[in-house]
Amino acid sequence: MSGSTNRYQVPPTVTVLTMMKARLVGATKGHALLKKKADALTVRYRQILKDIVEAKQGMGDAMKGSFFALAEAKYAGGDSIKHTVFDNVERASLKVFSSLDNVAGVKIPKFESVSQPGDTKMDLTGLGKGGQQIQSCRKAYISAIQLLVTLANLQTAFMTLDAALKTTNRRVNALENVVKPRLENTISYIKGELDELEREEFFRLKKVQKNKQKAADRAAAEDAKAGGGDKRADPYAAMGGVDSKGDGVAPASMLADAADEDIVFS
Amino acid sequence: MWGWEQLYFNVKDGYLEAIVRGHKSGLLTVPDYNNLTQCEALDDIKLNLTATDYGAYLANEASPLFTSTVVDRCTRKLVDDWNAMRCQADEKLARFLDFCTYGHMIDNVVLIVTGTLHERDELLDKCHPLGMFDSIATLAVAQNMRELFRLVLVDTPLAPYFSENLTHEDLDEMNIEIMRNTLSSSSKQQQQQQAAAASSSSKQQQQQQQQQEYKAYLDDFAAYCSQLGGTTAEVMTDLLAFEADRRALNITLNSIGTELTRDDRKKLYSNFGLLYPHGHNELSIAEDFDQIRAAMEKVPAYASLFNKLGYGESQMLDKLLYEEEVRRCAACYEQQFHYGVFYAYMKLREQEIRNIMWISECVAQDQKARVNDGIVFLF
Amino acid sequence: MARAVSEEGALVAVIADEDTITGFLLAGVGDVDIRKRSNFLIVDSKTTVRQIEASFKEFTARDDVAIVLISQPIANMIRHVVANHSKPIPAVLEIPSKDSPYDPNQDSLLNRVKHLLGMA
Repeated sequence: MSGSTNRYQVPPTVTVLTMMKARLVGATKGHALLKKKADALTVRYRQILKDIVEAKQGMGDAMKGSFFALAEAKYAGGDSIKHTVFDNVERASLKVFSSLDNVAGVKIPKFESVSQPGDTKMDLTGLGKGGQQIQSCRKAYISAIQLLVTLANLQTAFMTLDAALKTTNRRVNALENVVKPRLENTISYIKGELDELEREEFFRLKKVQKNKQKAADRAAAEDAKAGGGDKRADPYAAMGGVDSKGDGVAPASMLADAADEDIVFS
Repeated sequence: MWGWEQLYFNVKDGYLEAIVRGHKSGLLTVPDYNNLTQCEALDDIKLNLTATDYGAYLANEASPLFTSTVVDRCTRKLVDDWNAMRCQADEKLARFLDFCTYGHMIDNVVLIVTGTLHERDELLDKCHPLGMFDSIATLAVAQNMRELFRLVLVDTPLAPYFSENLTHEDLDEMNIEIMRNTLSSSSKQQQQQQAAAASSSSKQQQQQQQQQEYKAYLDDFAAYCSQLGGTTAEVMTDLLAFEADRRALNITLNSIGTELTRDDRKKLYSNFGLLYPHGHNELSIAEDFDQIRAAMEKVPAYASLFNKLGYGESQMLDKLLYEEEVRRCAACYEQQFHYGVFYAYMKLREQEIRNIMWISECVAQDQKARVNDGIVFLF
Repeated sequence: MARAVSEEGALVAVIADEDTITGFLLAGVGDVDIRKRSNFLIVDSKTTVRQIEASFKEFTARDDVAIVLISQPIANMIRHVVANHSKPIPAVLEIPSKDSPYDPNQDSLLNRVKHLLGMA
């Protein structure tokens, strides 16, 4: 029987039973909560999955637009604009700031792109020709980056949720399939043991009562035989005491033994 | 000179004029473009171009093709033509041909200087092949701007433009910029602080610098052409005036909303052209597109151009300007015995390369719907 | 040079062809620090797979990079490395390249997503 192996090794006592019961209640509650969390995460997860597929496909079009804007800029400004651009790289003016988003206790990093204002070093690129196209190309790329950042958000959320969902599901499963059955087994084991003890006790009490009954019957029969003679016989001697062996031989009453040597304490 | 040039022109330059007219007839025509726009892939474009003058240049390109490769090959064709003509040219024409390429040279010098400043390598590969000159490789050796000028630039044909415009102040400014970036220590503490404060504006300085060099170059080119006299002067004045005005217009348009002041702006305009000087005054104070338009419409030649443009549609302007340029360049083939055809050939070829680039980009990026927006038909 | 992602803002690193990089630099993502370490890699015909791999590893290991953009054909060249990247930060995004249209079927992440959705 699995009950004997898949349980905690504890002494079957009432205290332990209460403890185990408390633990089972805790585990059930935890299981319910985790299950809810897993459900919440799954809902969000599914939603993110759908968003990712959509955003990825949208990205293709957005990037296409940006590439085309660049082609326009190259058409207007000549091929040499890229050298100007490469030479003007210093510190990033477009950075990503992150914050934390909370979904059912799972912290998901959330990015936000911020283009720092006051950055005008590119403004005069293509002053002679193509400046406008370069600026519109720049705008196209900035908006493309915003889209990409959104996508990155979804992606990190996906990764984090994926990990979180896995651990949560693992916990739910662990509670459901390991911890709870084990506690239940332990409880039923303890209950079984306690019942056993109780039955033994009951049986024993019954036996004792039966013995007493027998003794009482015998005494009554002797009484009847004697016909009322020796009325002074000590009734306690006949009754007998509690005997673990249950053989019905009761020791004589100590009070009945009159001749008892004095114990002298000197 | 007037009238007699027909007697002497062919002695010296007749051969080359014949050549350049031959090259010109090799330019793509409307049916060619129609074929190109029907292409579905870059390989189709290559196939179509094989039937043209570009054939020999593209034939050996293996797939997969990239837009940049196509453009590169086509430019190579122009450069080869150009160099062949340059070798055959006699003194005056050679000088003229050189003048035509100075624009690219200025680009290259600026590219190398800024590139050196940022410690980038393989700069020579990135230069425009038309703007190459013998001593260009030595530019990268110079450590600071003063040295660059003294040792290197004086030997280049561009020396006059740089010397004219690099005043002592500018030199220091750029000098410090270089030093700041190479992290070498300098004794000029005070100036370094200045440079640090003006670090962002110093980038713009470079852009302005480049434009000033352009301006000096255009002025000089115009002067040289009028010195040549005859039909050349007549034709080239027209073409250069347009170029100068287009630059003025573009600079104004692109500097709206930037830190460029009105005085700075005015400094960048060329000292000739149809807009000079009254139009420049108006342009320099223009703050939006409609003001620019008002200034431009006072010149009849540009009024018709702007009439094609709806109000507020500044985006289409580039194409209209390209079209106008092509029209003027094509028109100069109507006359004979002048150098303008060479300049026009270069411009037309460059426009054609732009067209090819546009078509290839559209085809490569699957944007066929917009393919006709960028093509300027040459003939 | 450990910079906290949240305080100063993090960078977007790009591995792509020259034109794509030009566009992103125009938008202002480019960053070259004092040690001339840049946050972008231009991949042309001369760039080796090893170089790309090294850059990808460097970008993903830098703590001031929040997002790594890599163009799809290049990602295909180092697919095993990209597929092995499992950390949420930096997020690795595959972007379409200019010369080849975006193919969703090659995207490691999208494949996984589609598999989960039962669409694959």
